[in-house]
Amino acid sequence: MTHTIKILPGGRVIKAASGTILADALHEAGFPISLYCGKMGLCGKCFVEIIRGGLPHPDSQEKIILERLLLANNYRLSCRYRISGSLMIRIPEESLLPQMPVLTQGVRRTIAIDPPAKKVALSLPRPDLSTPLALTDLIQSRFPGVSLKISAEALRVQAAFPEGPDMKMTAVVYKGSELTDIEPQDTTGRNFGLAVDLGTTTLVVELVDLNSGKTLDTEVGLNAQNRYGADVVSRIAAAYADPEKSRELKEVVVGALNEMIGRLLEKRHIPSNFVYEAVIAGNTAMNHLFLGLPVQTLAVSPYYALFSLLPALPAASTGLAINPRGKVYLAPNIKSFVGGDIAAGLAAADLASLPGNVLFIDLGTNGEIVLKKDRRFTATSTAAGPAFEGMNISCGMLALPGAIYKAEFRNKLHVRTISGRPALGVCGSGLIDLVAVFLKNGLISSQGQIQGPGKRIRVTKDIFLNQKDIRQMQLAAAAVKTGIRLLLAKSRLVSRDLDAVYVAGALGSTLNLYNSMALGLLPKCPEKKIFFIGNSSLAGARALLLSRAERSRCEKLVRRVRHLSLAEDALFQKTFIDALEFGAWS
Amino acid sequence: MNEAELYKDMAQAIVDGNKEAAVSLAREALAKKMDLQGVIEKGYIAGIKKVGELWEQGEYFLPELITSAECMKAALAVLKPMLEKAHLDAASKGKVVIGTIEGDIHDIGKNLVASMLSANGFDVVDLGADVKLERFIQKAQDEQADLICLSALLTTTMLNQRRLIEILKERGLRGRFKVLVGGAPVTKKWAADIGADGYGENALTAVKLAKDLAAKKR
Repeated sequence: MTHTIKILPGGRVIKAASGTILADALHEAGFPISLYCGKMGLCGKCFVEIIRGGLPHPDSQEKIILERLLLANNYRLSCRYRISGSLMIRIPEESLLPQMPVLTQGVRRTIAIDPPAKKVALSLPRPDLSTPLALTDLIQSRFPGVSLKISAEALRVQAAFPEGPDMKMTAVVYKGSELTDIEPQDTTGRNFGLAVDLGTTTLVVELVDLNSGKTLDTEVGLNAQNRYGADVVSRIAAAYADPEKSRELKEVVVGALNEMIGRLLEKRHIPSNFVYEAVIAGNTAMNHLFLGLPVQTLAVSPYYALFSLLPALPAASTGLAINPRGKVYLAPNIKSFVGGDIAAGLAAADLASLPGNVLFIDLGTNGEIVLKKDRRFTATSTAAGPAFEGMNISCGMLALPGAIYKAEFRNKLHVRTISGRPALGVCGSGLIDLVAVFLKNGLISSQGQIQGPGKRIRVTKDIFLNQKDIRQMQLAAAAVKTGIRLLLAKSRLVSRDLDAVYVAGALGSTLNLYNSMALGLLPKCPEKKIFFIGNSSLAGARALLLSRAERSRCEKLVRRVRHLSLAEDALFQKTFIDALEFGAWS
Repeated sequence: MNEAELYKDMAQAIVDGNKEAAVSLAREALAKKMDLQGVIEKGYIAGIKKVGELWEQGEYFLPELITSAECMKAALAVLKPMLEKAHLDAASKGKVVIGTIEGDIHDIGKNLVASMLSANGFDVVDLGADVKLERFIQKAQDEQADLICLSALLTTTMLNQRRLIEILKERGLRGRFKVLVGGAPVTKKWAADIGADGYGENALTAVKLAKDLAAKKR
């Protein structure tokens, strides 16, 4: 007899047979539960919270551990728990193997593998004196009904064809009609592409097998453009003032990407010629800088982009180190600062297919929000600022080892750091937790004032949050809250009308929902309606790389999305000022 | 209730952000035919000054500034007709033309500065956001302004602050107005480099600076 198990956070549902050990079922489903002692019930690292379902009495060994860890009595060790009925459980972060929170995983949903870049093995009769057919004619004859566009570049094939009456070669065909490359022999088994998250702060490159659709490997790196400024506007300002800087900015980011690509390919001994397409998901400004385009129009009101959708560009023209005859496709910019990264995110979430009213939020520096009301889509960017990435905070840092990413109050303040290292500072999700905890315990007022004489609050021996830090949080949270409120108001909706809320961005999975709602960053919503989709830009880039249908749907959706300019909204100032107050709302 | 107590209540109404109290006290002042200049300086403006101190101490934040400024506006609205009648609009500390510079649409900070200047007795002409340089100059001349205040929130748009000062120089108008600059990327150094008369880091320092500059001019 099988039972269903609903797993929070995320809401995924799996099935398992009666008698299965919960830890096994979770592992099977892809949840990396920590099983340090090999399921002997000794290490206590695999506990989960049973929200609904059977609560068998723990045996004496388990009891000792549960008590030692001060866990509430609905927690159990998953390696000791045999499934006997349907369940709803929560897997706490502590029970998963430690992970690097710079997200490299997004939503995985099945799509038909149908990439624009395909390889076809051909066996062509060798021409002879009586029929000296040109190579292009021979190839075309294998594609009846399609008029192949053949570039001269594709004909510069180096290797000689082997002996024998048949010439065996592989044609690389883009979108079914463009012949971009010819390779000797049958190389159809080696067909690769890249999905790229072109972030302002971090770059992520995924190597994807275009035949199987599988991600083979991932590289994460800092965007070296940050020497021109941590935020996009500083980089735009540098490029705007000096065309030389513009060229440098392009070289720096392309250089950084090429280094990452080089490492990925070297590890697997894949020559770059076998990488036929790269899909880039970046925000509007990053896309312009990547292509070395002028950014004047983004620098001043009304902040419009030079391009939304571009056809796939010849790789050689971009400088990206893949097959020079390959393609580079940029996920289309929606409008103004809502860019290709959001278009990719919407593709990953498959927002267009979701029923009802859905809110999509990418929590990061730009705080982009998209609201779907039935069949209408509106987007805005809230310029939340870098507080969510730990910037402009006295003890703030990026989500790296040593960053406090979680905090709770159980008799005293408990904090958790990335990789368990000694605390060096606080990153975005940690900041949200800390402010929520301080608010709940009366250490700060809802107006954001630190109560009492000291003007800072201790987090650890060396780490404090001061008044200015709290103000930065107020401003950042107020920006996002205002964006959500005005989008809802414009669509004549209230938060109750939302059928789902998708939260993307680096904060995604480490974000504490309860605390976010307590502060007012997110509207009050039943947890089951909220889904963390992690790095949706990267996942979307991968979907666009692997499927022509996804790409076409994405392009159509982008044209339908309206833009709400917050600054021009008459209600903006009042809504923003009111939003500065911490507190739950709906 | 004597004068001093009324002044105290007026100041407190501003500090508390109590619009009803601010307005009713203003009406009382009119009814009692009190010295209006005293009412403004010792009552309401004293309250605004306290608000400024609380901001500096980190006690008060944007919402409190806005609420207090609104109270001030409401109280002044009650008193203004009487002031004008008694030709007491020499209560004005100076005339200011303010706006967010061409190419930039951010205006919350600028709105706050405008409110605070108004609350502190300046005559403020707020041109809004994305104001063309020509319009600043034209309006400043038309209004015979003492001060031009320019806000910019982006490193790209702040370049227009420099441009405006250049244009003033080109037309021989530089000496006629004091130019104050502000906004997140603006610094004291930038203000000095472009030849501005001052840099306002926040609404309260902007007001202090404006008072000094206006006094010098007159």
